[in-house]
Amino acid sequence: MSFKAADLIYLLPLLVLAVSGMLLVLAEAFYRGKDRAALMGLAVAGAVAAAVSSIVVYRQLAPGEVKPLLSNMLLADRFGYALTALFSVVTALAAMVAPAHQRAHGWVHGEYYGVLLLSAAGMAMLALAGNLVTVFLGIETMSIGVYVLCGLRRRSRRGNEAAMKYFLMGAFATGFLLYGIALIYGAAGTMAFAGIEDGKAFTLAERLVDSPNRGLVVAGILLLVVAFGFKLAAVPFHMWAPDAYEGAPTPVTAFMAAAVKAAATAAAIRVFAYGMGGDILAYGNFGWASPMVVIAAVTITLGNIAAIRQDNIKRVLAYSSISHGGVILVGLAALGLGSGTAQTSLMYYLIAYSLTTMGAFAVVAYVGSRDNERLHIDDWAGLAARHPAAALAMTVCLLSLGGMPPTGGFFAKFYVFKSAMEAHDQQLLWLVIIGVVNSAISIYYYLRIVTAMYFRDSKGAFEPSRSAPLAFVMAVCPLIILEMGVMPGFWLKLGL
Amino acid sequence: MNSVVTHIGYGHFLVLSAILFAIGVVGVLIRRNALIVMMSIELMLNAANIAIITFARMHGDVGGHSFALVVIAVAAAEVAVGLAILVAVFRGRRHIDVDRMTTLKY
Repeated sequence: MSFKAADLIYLLPLLVLAVSGMLLVLAEAFYRGKDRAALMGLAVAGAVAAAVSSIVVYRQLAPGEVKPLLSNMLLADRFGYALTALFSVVTALAAMVAPAHQRAHGWVHGEYYGVLLLSAAGMAMLALAGNLVTVFLGIETMSIGVYVLCGLRRRSRRGNEAAMKYFLMGAFATGFLLYGIALIYGAAGTMAFAGIEDGKAFTLAERLVDSPNRGLVVAGILLLVVAFGFKLAAVPFHMWAPDAYEGAPTPVTAFMAAAVKAAATAAAIRVFAYGMGGDILAYGNFGWASPMVVIAAVTITLGNIAAIRQDNIKRVLAYSSISHGGVILVGLAALGLGSGTAQTSLMYYLIAYSLTTMGAFAVVAYVGSRDNERLHIDDWAGLAARHPAAALAMTVCLLSLGGMPPTGGFFAKFYVFKSAMEAHDQQLLWLVIIGVVNSAISIYYYLRIVTAMYFRDSKGAFEPSRSAPLAFVMAVCPLIILEMGVMPGFWLKLGL
Repeated sequence: MNSVVTHIGYGHFLVLSAILFAIGVVGVLIRRNALIVMMSIELMLNAANIAIITFARMHGDVGGHSFALVVIAVAAAEVAVGLAILVAVFRGRRHIDVDRMTTLKY
């Protein structure tokens, strides 16, 4: 139970991210250059080091092995380190998107890179969380960093407003999360998902089922569902998301949509599947899966319907990401209802979704230039004729978001819905039907952007924000998505 | 005097915490001044803290007490960022009324 120095290696990804984040904040204070591109290099180096160290630790662990660390505060398993590697890679990509956008739109702040990595450290903590304390700390470390990033464009009215809305809603959700944790703690007498007390092994789920205070358990679980609903931007807790996504600088939006949502999912998987999993707790009298299923159905549908009416590309992608959050909730409910493949499917989904979103927002950052972000769909007319590579990258990403083969997005949805079909008694069949119908609807607004790019006449030439790192992100994301769609086998084994 | 003190039990603290939490939630939902919304959120966090401390004492578990301290530190960090955002918003608009922040609407 006690701390051993040999356990430090399991903390390596987390420490690398946190320490390099702090060093970057310091470096910004002493930096004398005008351009902050050198800091971008350091941030990428730190994130890549974290990704490499998580892969090293990942290979040290056997599939299915779960190793408790620091008195059950963290759980080291392959699932957690695969997610940590994903978050580190997405963080590196988000750092690479930034310099061109910062130069073009006049918000050259080096703090971006440091806060980005600190926020990623919170995400790593969430991926490895084994205790409600670490879940709370991880969510706060991540969110506080992202509030700062969201408001980095201090003089922009839109940026400020986005930061304000995101902060107030996020902090409100934190209140629910904390009160939920308090009630669960009251019912169970522990915050660890599993552990040993007085020589007897226990799990949080068992304690909750045996608890004499059923009211506390039900109220606590409902509060946690609401809190995660806010963090995942699930309907009806999604009001902040489109505004925050639109107003934040595009690299930050990319980070929020790709990494923050994936990290919130990771935390939800840890809390609901690891902490409150088991046959009795998910459905039946206490049932966290029942409210979650309803929220999932509403989220997929309303996210899609709202996206159809949008003309602003960032808002389209925001609503599309809300709808994707609904699919994630389907996977979570399937996980709770005893589907054996749900965890691997969710892992695959998160990888495909994060890289796709990152690629799409990278193209959005590329198309905008000084004093004109070109976010309206009409600004994208005829893009394929002038910038064929960017249009192609965007098309691949949009097809993947819409779930069309041969992209990763297709298999992501396919596997999540397949695992939902395997749930206990086929209870989720109706949800799968809703999900598939909505995938078909979503093709409409994704293809609307594609047709604008390929089949409409452009309004005139413009100079996009060019930079080598940005071009790298725009090339590498679609390539990985296509690779995932052609050969999904490797990616499906990561979640075990 | 002494009997009053001994009659205050865990239940009273839990009821107090529930009432504070409810006041906080209602405050966030009905007040339009961003500063007061933030104060209401703080009230929610502190209500949760009271509940956590009460339960920690009920279960005789030190972990809960230290978690409450962690929560205080985190809440302070959050408020620091929140106030900074608030100041930036106020500089641009000369008000912090959440209902009048409608630049981001289609």
